[in-house]
Amino acid sequence: MYGKGLRALSISTVAVMAIALSLVFFYAPLDAEQGFLQKIFYVHVPLAIVALCGFVAGAIMAIAHLRTRDPRWDMRSYVAIHMSLIFGVGTLITGSIWAKGSWGHWWVWSEPTLVSFLIVFLLYATYQPLRFAIEDPERQARYASVFAITAGAFVPMNFIAVRLSTAYLHPRVLGSTSNLPGPMALTFAVSLLGIALLYTTLCRYELTAKHTRAQLRDLRRRLSGETVDTQTRRPRSAAPTLHPTAMHPTATMTARAVGRPGA
Amino acid sequence: MSGVILGELPALPLHTAGKYVAGAYVVLFALVLIYVAIMAVRLSRIERELGELSELSERSHSETPELDRSASPPSQTVADQQNVRHPESTPA
Repeated sequence: MYGKGLRALSISTVAVMAIALSLVFFYAPLDAEQGFLQKIFYVHVPLAIVALCGFVAGAIMAIAHLRTRDPRWDMRSYVAIHMSLIFGVGTLITGSIWAKGSWGHWWVWSEPTLVSFLIVFLLYATYQPLRFAIEDPERQARYASVFAITAGAFVPMNFIAVRLSTAYLHPRVLGSTSNLPGPMALTFAVSLLGIALLYTTLCRYELTAKHTRAQLRDLRRRLSGETVDTQTRRPRSAAPTLHPTAMHPTATMTARAVGRPGA
Repeated sequence: MSGVILGELPALPLHTAGKYVAGAYVVLFALVLIYVAIMAVRLSRIERELGELSELSERSHSETPELDRSASPPSQTVADQQNVRHPESTPA
């Protein structure tokens, strides 16, 4: 289901990333102030933007989960947040490297953009422990969705609050203060597209792997003639597990129509 | 040939800032590489589970005809047994 078109997506991701790297190192001019160090901008900023957008996408998927009670939306929300956390780690590390090269310090606590991103990252770092703390899969999914929506709403609020703050040490990329010259803007746009494609591809890989695992578990259950519901016997995990009925949309709809508890 | 191509490429100023830029891009590639390694481990686990399941399926297939043969009368043929097991496969 999730594996459809994955090959084309992977190839286009590799192609766009290769083009982006070529543009960064052989096309984009050197910055007048920072020189070669500014090349970090083309990896750090897209990572941050995609990570934050991923958190918001996780919140939107969580809304879809609460509206439909379809566990596939919970799975998508989980994967989006999980992947955004990985991209968030990349943002923090590349940002620290840039800060060290530019300002001489690995971290500047007086800079609101850095601290606000760290707050958002730490907030989402509690997502997995929250899931792990709840044993009942349905309750886990519901609580995780509520968390994802609340934290997702916090992301744009945080972004606006930082914009309104007065300390402007961190360079502004998007908005009225943006004054990137043409070649730099093009390189940035291609880099952003490449990182966004990378995020989408990795999410699709993760979803395909989880879906395949769920299918295998279901197949094993059927072959061994087990009749006990696997949801009740599964080991405690932070990752959502797709119920066999959730793997086919019609099966879920039927389950909802007959009023299955939690469906 | 490769020397000509390399000669055409712009010289990258790798003196002071080079190590920071290289570090930032290495971080990105390391993250992707770690993820690919994790996916490889998962894929091998899925492959192993699939092998176990196909073995389980073969074993159950090889055990089922013996059970059916012992349960059915001696005059019944294999084709008859198959028809009994899969009534929907018989022509209308």
